[in-house]
Amino acid sequence: MPRFEKIEYHPTSVRELLLEMKNLSELMIDLAYSAALFNDRELAEDVLELENRVDVSSYLLEMEIMLAARDSKDAEALTGVSTVASAADKISDAAADIAAIVTQNIGIHPIVGEIFEKVEERLMRVKVAKDSILAEKAIGELELAARMGVDIIAIRRNKDWIIDPKENEKIAIDDILIARGTSAGLKEFKELCKGKLRKLED
Amino acid sequence: MSKKRRRKFEEIVEKFVELKDTSELMMDLAYSSLLMNSRELAEEVQKLEEYVDKLHTDFELLVLSSGFKKEEAKGFLGLIRLGVVTEKIADAAAEIAEVVLREIEPHPVLKLTIEEAEETITYVTVSENSSLVNKTLREAKVPEETGMWVLAIRRGDRCVRPKPETRIQVGDVLIASGYAEGEEDLKKLASP
Repeated sequence: MPRFEKIEYHPTSVRELLLEMKNLSELMIDLAYSAALFNDRELAEDVLELENRVDVSSYLLEMEIMLAARDSKDAEALTGVSTVASAADKISDAAADIAAIVTQNIGIHPIVGEIFEKVEERLMRVKVAKDSILAEKAIGELELAARMGVDIIAIRRNKDWIIDPKENEKIAIDDILIARGTSAGLKEFKELCKGKLRKLED
Repeated sequence: MSKKRRRKFEEIVEKFVELKDTSELMMDLAYSSLLMNSRELAEEVQKLEEYVDKLHTDFELLVLSSGFKKEEAKGFLGLIRLGVVTEKIADAAAEIAEVVLREIEPHPVLKLTIEEAEETITYVTVSENSSLVNKTLREAKVPEETGMWVLAIRRGDRCVRPKPETRIQVGDVLIASGYAEGEEDLKKLASP
């Protein structure tokens, strides 16, 4: 049985909540497809964890709505916000359903991933090793996109997620990086993270 | 695996990729329409919904008519499920867009959301003499040059999800968001 925690109200701006839900949904969907197409269990588990975060945001959003409603006119206008919260929830549930294809061992024919890789970029998750040259470097100075066509789209640091990290975000040892790119680029990137490749080539 | 069989699989995957990209585009646009209170973007999402339904049907028909062997069937059950979920995502995106289309007067809570973002949506057509033609989005560096972010590309009667490797063509309509001052720069870049 999953554990459901009590979610306590704390004032948060609706814009912030909506932005967070937008970013989380996009990341989850991306991760989920990659997990399913390439049968990646770790990615699938990340998706399930992120689903909890969307749940929390959508709870908080509902609370904001209830607090903001003073009369019937308010209620009318706020129904829209509530619809958005529930739609965001549906999207995150959908991502979890995709992840379940992996966790429930239904799986997708390996040829699908093989063909998919030729037309689309894929995602990869990789942990930063102690002796990786990426450690302590800011994302911007690495110029990964120009060098190898790889973008870091999220960082998982202990229990926290940094989505769409900024240029000045420093990579730390033990960070789990979620990157998007071509398979050749990602291969190189993985070697860099693991500390097997010791220099950045131009 | 025979060449013919492989070609069939490729066809299925291509259809799926189109379905997936369109549904992700809808989600992007739906949230953007909400954050910018843009009816135009919301309408774009509604238009895409019908298209997604059609894509989904085509995709399912294609998978069902492929004559899989028993041991292959399980691997494609996963893909069919993926298609179903993808369509659900598109539906949820359409629900978000509906809020924008229905709202007569947004509630102050939502207004706060909108007003903080003084962003506009621009549509620009890429002309023959533009330096963007034949460049991929990654090469074009539109955000760096103009401060505008390309949300979607309208190509003929289709809407494409912009990806770093998407190549810009003559006649493409770039749907972009950003601060008003970037609008002129983008226009100059796309149709000088």
